[in-house]
Amino acid sequence: MDEVTRGKLEAIRQGELSVVENVQRMLERIAKLNPKINAFIELNPDALAQAEAVERRLRRGEKVGKLAGLTVGVKSNINVLGLRATCASKTLEDYIATYDAEVIKRVRAAGGIIIGMTNMDEFACGSSGETSAFGATDNPAAPGHIPGGSSSGSAAAIAAGMCDLCLGSDTGGSIRNPASHCGVVGVKPTYGLVPRQGLIDLAMSLDQIGPFAPDVYGAALLLEVIAGFNPNECVMLDAKGVSYADELQTDLKGMRVGISPKFRELTDPKIMEVIDSAIKKLQDLGAEIVEVELPHLEKGLPAYYLIMSVEFFSATRKFDGRKYGKRIEDVCGDEVLRRILRGRHISRKEYRGKYYQRALQVRTIIREELMTALEKVDVIVGPTVPKLPHKMGEKISVSAMYAYDYLTIPANLAGICGGVVKAGEVDGIPVGLQVQGKVLGEEEVFRVLRSYEAVA
Amino acid sequence: MKMLIGFEVHQQLSTGRKMYCDCPTNYQEVPPNTNICPICTGMPGSKPLPPNERAVDAAIEIALMLGCEIIADRIIYIQRKHYDYPDLPSGYQRTSLPIGLNGELQGVRIREVHLEEDPGQYDPTLGTVDFNRSGVPLVEIVTEPDMHSPEEARKFLRQLVRLLEYSGKVRPEAGGAMRTDTNISLEGGGRVEVKNINSVKGAYRAIKFEIMRQRAKLERGEAVTRETRAYLESQKITMPMRLKELEEDYRYIPDPDIFPLVIDQARIRRIKASMVEAPHLREQRLVKQYGIGPSVANVIASERELANLFEVVAREVDPKFVATWFRTKLKKILNYMKLRAEDVKFVPEQLIDLLKMIKSDEITPEQGELVLRELVKRPGDPHELLLQLGLVRVGRTELQAAVAEAIRTNPEVVKDYLAGKQEALHFLVGKVMQLTNMRADPREIIKLLRAELGREG
Repeated sequence: MDEVTRGKLEAIRQGELSVVENVQRMLERIAKLNPKINAFIELNPDALAQAEAVERRLRRGEKVGKLAGLTVGVKSNINVLGLRATCASKTLEDYIATYDAEVIKRVRAAGGIIIGMTNMDEFACGSSGETSAFGATDNPAAPGHIPGGSSSGSAAAIAAGMCDLCLGSDTGGSIRNPASHCGVVGVKPTYGLVPRQGLIDLAMSLDQIGPFAPDVYGAALLLEVIAGFNPNECVMLDAKGVSYADELQTDLKGMRVGISPKFRELTDPKIMEVIDSAIKKLQDLGAEIVEVELPHLEKGLPAYYLIMSVEFFSATRKFDGRKYGKRIEDVCGDEVLRRILRGRHISRKEYRGKYYQRALQVRTIIREELMTALEKVDVIVGPTVPKLPHKMGEKISVSAMYAYDYLTIPANLAGICGGVVKAGEVDGIPVGLQVQGKVLGEEEVFRVLRSYEAVA
Repeated sequence: MKMLIGFEVHQQLSTGRKMYCDCPTNYQEVPPNTNICPICTGMPGSKPLPPNERAVDAAIEIALMLGCEIIADRIIYIQRKHYDYPDLPSGYQRTSLPIGLNGELQGVRIREVHLEEDPGQYDPTLGTVDFNRSGVPLVEIVTEPDMHSPEEARKFLRQLVRLLEYSGKVRPEAGGAMRTDTNISLEGGGRVEVKNINSVKGAYRAIKFEIMRQRAKLERGEAVTRETRAYLESQKITMPMRLKELEEDYRYIPDPDIFPLVIDQARIRRIKASMVEAPHLREQRLVKQYGIGPSVANVIASERELANLFEVVAREVDPKFVATWFRTKLKKILNYMKLRAEDVKFVPEQLIDLLKMIKSDEITPEQGELVLRELVKRPGDPHELLLQLGLVRVGRTELQAAVAEAIRTNPEVVKDYLAGKQEALHFLVGKVMQLTNMRADPREIIKLLRAELGREG
């Protein structure tokens, strides 16, 4: 899979593959596989018309964007004008987006074709893809197992080859977790690098939109299209004109790569075996492996669930039943309700000092810990998810579900970036190598991801 | 009985754009739900734009005019205040932490000044919401409970309204644009908050009613419990609010979608350099600088443009004379014509000329007043207005002839006068004025009449 995106773009540019043909093939594949995988919950009826438009521009030799002719699946919490942005919830099952999210405008401007809306955990609340009101998503790379979540449909669509690229969102691991379970590339960008305007909130201070792709090049390309300052948004970093795809290197000479003993403590030994051999390969590529201390890493989990719940409670107040037909508390699933009620409870005036403020303090500690570690090294590598995905339909406890997020949450709390590439397999189930980078350290992250991909 | 009264006053800022989006703010002039966008209607996924800088500047200026310390070089969070109401599209209202603290206006301490955004307008009868108003910036001014009678409270509110009008940063008071909550407590009773007040008059009535109600309770030996009540404008009474509204916990959190405000010293300096002098301070200065009485100064300072006009004119003409004319004549004419000083069209020089003509006895004060009235209606050179009005003073000979004529044609009145009836003289003066088409000075007529009739006194 290692250079499919580059090959596809080349074929389209050379006229070997028409854009319309590309879209048609994808639609056929979706028609064939989706009934079983359930990665898409709505298709774009205008995809072929849009393909024709891009095709015409290509044939006339007009300037086309970086994504010209590629099909892009969009997580159902991102507004695409005219399509439903349901968040895979009954709450918004009738909500048709009235505007394009900023990232969608950028994808369109780059010649990307929105092929449809992907399945997800309801309101991005979940790590298994099972909480969707439109049914669970299967894992194409390990059928019968969960694909991970919450961007379950986006990861599965890439793994099944139903589209070229996908957009997902990551609040506590929602891109990296399913990328790991489905064996695809997924990147959670630095907080504030990608506009969130048009992304329906889970937790505003943690959410970031990011790319899924079958290869590192595709993820780098999609990220550089959607990244960069948006003046119509407050909480953004002043990053302009970023470029990753053209600078992808395949060696790691002079790079300092951090590892932490903490990862081993928290992770299934079978997964660690795969990760250890991946780290060995990085060393072979010239990286210097350096041990870093992350003593409070696991405390991120409870802090995250408090902060996220308070912000989610706030974000869902607009779903009061007046404008979108259904009051969220009346129609949502258990996990969404659990988070709303938790958020409502701990944001009470009398509990402020007790929960929310303390969680923010822990967040500061974890951020400082990661920042300190990242002063010593360029990136930190390790496992993405501490355990293998459970079988679809298997009942697991709430705390066991939350435990999937131990290793992905810290990057969100700290606002740093992180990417995942397939490291290997355990019993035929993909295991992803997580590469965490500094604030705006995407370039280093892509370099490690690509170098590993080239030799894996 | 000792009482404490305080206010929370909300006023819309007169910015062209809303607080967190680019929609226009003229919500009263357009059809319902036209000045709206995904941001001010809280559509799923919408994010606020950075806060409207003009609104922030306006709040800083108002806080400075109220003598507040501005929170400088420190983080001012914009918080989400959650509550459930049809007019609130996101289920929370954005409200800033204080921008200014510890001010003072006419003996009343100002606790804080901060920014808020207006919700939409809900019509409970039709069940409709108009979001045109949603997101219009508001400034909220919170006082300490430093007023001790309804009259004092009303006086303070009037002062505050004048100050806000002076600032030029708020929407003219119209259509419920000024909203205030008040808290009232009597000695021995709990603090009662009254919401839903829309005018100074309403505040005065609500406070009067509350005092009466609380006093009656205390006199009966009942307790006045701490509670929140709503003022009903139609009945001019206050009513307890629903229990649900009382138990509300707003669950404030800093809005994660907005960087907190930080106001630096340079910004405060810039605003200070161009800001309007607060009316209460100006009033004090007028007294000192021009040696005029406090009550005259109060009239002159009632409107910013009136005070501006006064100060221009007072440079050229004796300020005390000008002040008297402003209070007794100009203000009267403006009030009669229902005009504000900012509406007058004449230029200060025209008024200066007119007042100089009066001061130098070129024309009589009566003529002057006629010209002034004309000046307000139809601005022009006062000399020409005088001519147009036919008010050029009659010559000595003509006046003497008119005096003689009045005496000749009113022998009975003359007889009365000679018999000692002072009123008779006034009648004759009136006759002469008539004969001269008001173009004579009554004082001169009296002199001439007395000389003619040979009687002093």
